[in-house]
Amino acid sequence: MTALRNELLKLALPLVRTHGFTREALSRSALALPTPHPEPLRDTAVSALFGDGDDARRTLISAWLDEGRTHMREASDTSIKDALRTRLRYNEPVLNLLPEAFATLATPPGHILDPRPALKHAAAVADEACVLAGDTSVGTLWHARRASLAAIYTAAELHQLQSPHTADGFLDGLLDSESRVKNTLDDATQYAGYIISSWVGIIKSRGILL
Amino acid sequence: MQRLVSQKSVAWAACSVAKRSYASASRVTPSTAYTHPTGSEGASTSSTPQDITPEQRNALDAALRIDQAGEVAANYIYMGQLAVLGRDRVAGPLIQDMWDQEKKHLAVMNKLQHQHGVRPTMLWEVAKVAGFGLGAVTALMGKEAAMACTEAVETIIGEHYDDQLKELDAINTADPSVPLLKEVVKEFRDDELEHLDTAVLHHSQRAPAHAFLSTVVGAGCKVAIELCRRI
Repeated sequence: MTALRNELLKLALPLVRTHGFTREALSRSALALPTPHPEPLRDTAVSALFGDGDDARRTLISAWLDEGRTHMREASDTSIKDALRTRLRYNEPVLNLLPEAFATLATPPGHILDPRPALKHAAAVADEACVLAGDTSVGTLWHARRASLAAIYTAAELHQLQSPHTADGFLDGLLDSESRVKNTLDDATQYAGYIISSWVGIIKSRGILL
Repeated sequence: MQRLVSQKSVAWAACSVAKRSYASASRVTPSTAYTHPTGSEGASTSSTPQDITPEQRNALDAALRIDQAGEVAANYIYMGQLAVLGRDRVAGPLIQDMWDQEKKHLAVMNKLQHQHGVRPTMLWEVAKVAGFGLGAVTALMGKEAAMACTEAVETIIGEHYDDQLKELDAINTADPSVPLLKEVVKEFRDDELEHLDTAVLHHSQRAPAHAFLSTVVGAGCKVAIELCRRI
């Protein structure tokens, strides 16, 4: 049952371009099976497989986002910039549907705004980009890197929703600022290290045992 | 449990003395697949099991996260102890040797973290500071207290690796990375137990308030393990 559900979900993804993130895309996925179903799934079947009302749409949107991360692996060059650009490319065919899709994700049945799916989406994209670029940071640096990339990607995606043509330039600008800030922080840390070593040396030379 | 541990330590002391006399630095161990890769390891050092249930995946992630945090803490404990006892004729080189082994463990754990796509603990900096503090404080209490701290920490870590081996045995997967992981965990467990018996041989049991110190350090380690499992 789960295998069939997953297969139908995968087949519904190409239909998002034509039918949007709707229950209709899910019901028409049955027509694309290897042994095609004679007619689209009935509404009750869609509810049974994927959930009632908007829950089914949320399942489809989440599956589409997961597919986006798999799509990132097709980036031509294994750099963070290319991985994020490829992910932004993936958004392009359905750009006009995305604001409503994200809004649906953020409004679960309880009708209280839920920021978690958006945060999870950004974190997952950042993680995938780091893995593809062969990032080997550990500890706090692992978290810091992914947090900053998630913020950059979120800003770039929001920019893309408003102004698709300048999205790449905006992403490049953000990544450049991030690397400039990182270099400045590294330099500042190194300088602070020199100051501290100097003071340790001065204190030791005064005869105070350390 | 304490009595079992000291019996285990005595048994370990007997066979590890012989082991130490034949041990050489270039011994091929399971972890050399990560420290000195020859290119013939194939998928065992690069893939992660895809055919396990989400619960097993969470358990694997948590286990690796705790292991990595434990190795970080152990590194910094030895660093703290060396900062105080570095000039001691006997304890200094001993702690330095054990620290070098822990450095190797941490390097392997970092590679395992990236291989299996595990999130490291957010308490990384806390582990560093707490480890250094514990090492320095126990070293200030004396050589024997430092050894007692090592004994307590290595006991908990050894038990944890043992529990992890049982968990890994329950995972059925076709992926080649899991058997290698089991071998590596077994090797690290044996290394930690060797540290434990070294600490006992160097009079950790003579430390002032040994039982109290062991209990406090052991309880702290268990709390840290539970925190790292979640955070």
